[in-house]
Amino acid sequence: MNHTPDNETVAGNESPLDPQEAAALLDQTTQQARRKFQPNPPMLNVFRGFVVLIAFGGLWLSVRGQHPYTGPKPWAIAVAYGLVGIVIAWSTRALRRSGAGVSGPAQRARSIGMGVLLTGWVLVYVFEGAFYKSGAHIIYGIYPATAPFLIVGLAAAAWAAGRQDWPLTATCLGVAIVAAFAALTGPVYCWLIMGIGLCLAMLGNAAFGFRQLRHSVVRP
Amino acid sequence: MTTEELDPLIHVPTRLKIVATLAALPDGDALSFTRLQDMIGLTPGNLIIHLRRLEEAGYLTSEKTRNGTAPKTTVALTSRGREALGAYTQALRDLLGGL
Repeated sequence: MNHTPDNETVAGNESPLDPQEAAALLDQTTQQARRKFQPNPPMLNVFRGFVVLIAFGGLWLSVRGQHPYTGPKPWAIAVAYGLVGIVIAWSTRALRRSGAGVSGPAQRARSIGMGVLLTGWVLVYVFEGAFYKSGAHIIYGIYPATAPFLIVGLAAAAWAAGRQDWPLTATCLGVAIVAAFAALTGPVYCWLIMGIGLCLAMLGNAAFGFRQLRHSVVRP
Repeated sequence: MTTEELDPLIHVPTRLKIVATLAALPDGDALSFTRLQDMIGLTPGNLIIHLRRLEEAGYLTSEKTRNGTAPKTTVALTSRGREALGAYTQALRDLLGGL
């Protein structure tokens, strides 16, 4: 610490707190710190929930009534990618702000874990190329809508469980379960089921996040 | 139970804010001096006085590193500091329950 103490008497002589003031200050400071260190803010999850609902809803609207199934229309894909881009930008900003000035083993493990999950997400789409190569276009609706969420959802659930982050574990497991069942509904309805399921999972996680941020450390 | 039984090192507004802020980080993680200063809203001089007192009591550790040419100081709550905050919080609960 290379700073010069500017006024030791001021720093040393603060007026004492009564228990209520101390409890209020402890709660307020803890809640503020939790909010500032939160890499996954509840408001962002609310936004993510509505984004997936609109994006997947649009994809479903574009494939509804297709006989034979030809896949989502370019406008729906463009809307989905545009919205995903906004979510990625907000998520990156939230991650940078929460981790600014923070270092240590947990921070490192979080960065590595997220890097691995991101790589897994990309590899799932690379793997999709194998289906195209073999001419299996019929699964196009099912695979991109569900497989990344099933595979990466399970991996993220295991990672979150290792960190004892139970709300995130439940959310990721919920996403994987929705993906598995959505795949059963076929290439058209899987988009709709995924949109609704992912939206509910995000909103559920956001509700828990809001509750956790307001939770008092003094009063149970 | 009386207020005298509350840990006097923590039972000061600024130090309570410092300890509570650092306790919001996962165990073992550290925070840069500048971000802590920004979050607490103190002058560097005042913050360093409180940090020294907490460090002398073994409640936190500080580490100086060089990030290129600029020196960087990080502070982290020790397990002793975490335990002290836990005991302080429990004492507050007991006091408030008895009021």
